[in-house]
Amino acid sequence: MTIDIEVNLIEGLRQQSPKAQQQMLGRYGNAVFAQVARLVPAVEDAEEVYQDVFVKVFKNINMYDATQSSLKTWISHIAYNESISFLRKKSVQLIYYEDREGEAEKLSESEVEATFGHPNPETVQLIRAAIKHLPPDERAVITMFYYEEMSLKEIAYVTESIPTTVASKLSRTRKKLCKIIKMLQS
Amino acid sequence: MTEEKLNALRQQDTNLRDAIWQDETERPQMPADLNERLMQRVAAQKEKKQRRIVWPWIAAACAAGVLMIWLTPPKVTETDVVAKQQPKVEKSVEVVKPQTAEAKPEASQPVEETTIAVKPVKVSPAKPTINKLLAQETSVTEPTAAPMAEEAHQDLAVAETTKSQPEMVTLTERDIPITRPENYRYTPEELALMKKQANEAYLKWVELELEIAKFDLENTAQK
Repeated sequence: MTIDIEVNLIEGLRQQSPKAQQQMLGRYGNAVFAQVARLVPAVEDAEEVYQDVFVKVFKNINMYDATQSSLKTWISHIAYNESISFLRKKSVQLIYYEDREGEAEKLSESEVEATFGHPNPETVQLIRAAIKHLPPDERAVITMFYYEEMSLKEIAYVTESIPTTVASKLSRTRKKLCKIIKMLQS
Repeated sequence: MTEEKLNALRQQDTNLRDAIWQDETERPQMPADLNERLMQRVAAQKEKKQRRIVWPWIAAACAAGVLMIWLTPPKVTETDVVAKQQPKVEKSVEVVKPQTAEAKPEASQPVEETTIAVKPVKVSPAKPTINKLLAQETSVTEPTAAPMAEEAHQDLAVAETTKSQPEMVTLTERDIPITRPENYRYTPEELALMKKQANEAYLKWVELELEIAKFDLENTAQK
């Protein structure tokens, strides 16, 4: 999307134009729904959160600052917060692996790189199974980095954090995934 | 871990990337009518908001009007104060009169008791025979003398009580609300009127006493 189109879209949203709102849903709807569905497991709940996200976006469009982030990142930030607060509010029971004893940290970087680096379909399936054992926030961060290819700064903006924290979180999550894979293999 | 290193890892971790990619592609798609439902919800909220906008203004206008009426102080000028004081004197006259009129029928029943009470004061106890006669005769002459005496006593009593008890403002303030400081006491006009009434009553009482004494003397002279 060129800058001009985005500027026009934001202007239309500020005027609460239904046309601009529909245009926005067409452009960002799928990505937002995917982001929400990643964090909120039930589809009905994800739909509810999705609607809340866009209602909030339309309502607070005047608060969007183009100098701080792109429109997409700003919407992702709202979607992430809405999803996390929904999970907290609903007290959704989630079972995930927590490395209390810090065993994942003991894994060497070469061992982790070997697990993720060498293409292997079996390992891919193991990783998919392992991702399901991650807590929602870690799953969101790793997806934003590897799938949406967002920068550390953007991820930090979405998660209301700082880039160094995001970097250490990513590193920790990689090792944790490796540990879960090893556990699944054994 | 630096950003450059992480970016390099992003390219290297092919297994991880593939896994996440497969996960995302297998994720359930967004329902087709979800955006439509969302737009309906937004439109409904907009309508609700527009409705809400009107009501607070109407309510605020009503409240402001009521407050303005309620809080506007009455314009009190000196002429108003004088005008209010003038009719108050007239009212006090009106109020005093019905009370004396009311007192009359109540006092008319125990006439005998009052005359009997007067007797020992006026007649000396050394003449019991005269007393008996006097009692018989006074009972005959009572209808003319006693009501007058009673009336005089009542007027005097009212005048004295109003004089001695200035707190009984209720006499004149039945119709006037006790909200203004000028209504807390009698006005000079009211006091003058009450004094005049008391004096008149006292004179009547003295005249009556004189008549009784004269009558007694005539009786004793005849005997």
